[in-house]
Amino acid sequence: MAFILSNIHKRFGDLYVLKELSMSLEEHQLICILGPSGCGKTTLLNIISGVFPPDQGEISGFEDKSISYLFQETRLLRWKTVEENIDFVLKDRLSKSQRTEIIARYVDMVGLRDFKNYYPDKLSGGMKQRAAIARAFAYPADILLMDEPFKGLDLQLKTALMQAFISLWLMDKRSAFFVTHDIDEALLLGEKIYVLTERPGVVKGIISIDIPHKERNLHNENILRIEQEIYKLITNSGRE
Amino acid sequence: MLSSTTKNKLLTLASILALLLVWKLLAVFLNQEIIMPSPEITLVKLWMVISAHNFWPSVGATLSRGLIGFLISCAAGLVLGFCAGFSAPVYWLLQPWVTVIRTTPVMSVVILAIIWFQSDIVPIFVTFLMIFPIIYSNVVAGIKNVDQQLLEMAHMYRVKIRRIVFELYIPSILPYLLAGASNAMGITWKVIIAAEILSQPIFAVGTNLMIAKINLETAQVFAWTVVTIIISFIFEYLLNTLENKFRTWG
Repeated sequence: MAFILSNIHKRFGDLYVLKELSMSLEEHQLICILGPSGCGKTTLLNIISGVFPPDQGEISGFEDKSISYLFQETRLLRWKTVEENIDFVLKDRLSKSQRTEIIARYVDMVGLRDFKNYYPDKLSGGMKQRAAIARAFAYPADILLMDEPFKGLDLQLKTALMQAFISLWLMDKRSAFFVTHDIDEALLLGEKIYVLTERPGVVKGIISIDIPHKERNLHNENILRIEQEIYKLITNSGRE
Repeated sequence: MLSSTTKNKLLTLASILALLLVWKLLAVFLNQEIIMPSPEITLVKLWMVISAHNFWPSVGATLSRGLIGFLISCAAGLVLGFCAGFSAPVYWLLQPWVTVIRTTPVMSVVILAIIWFQSDIVPIFVTFLMIFPIIYSNVVAGIKNVDQQLLEMAHMYRVKIRRIVFELYIPSILPYLLAGASNAMGITWKVIIAAEILSQPIFAVGTNLMIAKINLETAQVFAWTVVTIIISFIFEYLLNTLENKFRTWG
């Protein structure tokens, strides 16, 4: 069972956002959609999650699938504690005992056990994003959509959050679409990287990385070679 | 060294003493009880007013009118505010009505109400017309300011609509609602008394004020005024306490 997008077109009025876009994701795979700001990455996620349909093209494999999200903003409710925020999205689908167990597990895994009863305003930016990560993973979803969740964070925080993310992701390898404009993030997280051009978003190239996540770092020879490849793709598209 | 709260309390106390002093000086200077009764005469009258047989029935009647008017306004403001906040057509349908109500002078409303209703109902009706637009506008503003990103998150996670209303909308508009309510509460007592003065229900603080005025009992007018200030103050305090309680997550 795979998730397939074929030949997707989307425009808003005169604005051609996505063009002839095709993409496929195996189950339990993490794919990265790498492209400059405004290349229609968020539009693509909205099409996948069914917020609006594409003008043309087909998507398949997403029927009846539940989806969880990680946004650039933490989007936590200020009047609910960390625990209550996770409970907010779980309540309609799981029993009380299941929820208690799941919330405790994920709060622990993102290192917020001592802060589970804190309101978001009392937490640091990094802790809030951890809470949002816990919410995304605690939610019983088949697919995980991520829209630049590490954007605008300082390097140290970003590295720590990405590590927390990878160890959570490796536990059940949830099929995931990860959208970013940052090459380093794509290199560290993606199993398959779709490089998009500027608007309208067209797939410029597809790069697979089969190095296990735990062995990846930005100094690794193979990673550096792939980085070169991506740069080549990006600069080529710039000359057109 | 005094802590800043003690210091503030001392300043408040000093200010009240200064007020009493100015009042006393004016009374001595004018030397006419009918124009400016002194604080101690007012205090004596206040005691007489409080121990009079019609004091508690009057205060009770005024309080219940105020609270009924206030609660009806809150309920209507909340329900219609919600409708208008969610639906642009409802908002534009209600807009002219709210504007008319908001801009009509209090006295016009009172006079018309006296023509239309019996004297007990007049203050409640007038309070409603004065308070409702405040609550309504605050609720509409609250709903328009609900964080769209949070809503998107809740919809994407397929949270049920009923829970989105109670756990996302209501907490979001609560600060607006409470700010509107405490603003409205202050106005309620002023409007109630004004309406009572003109409509003259049998038991009412306003009626007593009017009777004191007709009898040229200025000290008694002062005494009843002190009573209304105390009523206002108590309710303002209660609402502030409530507001602080809901702000614990801040």
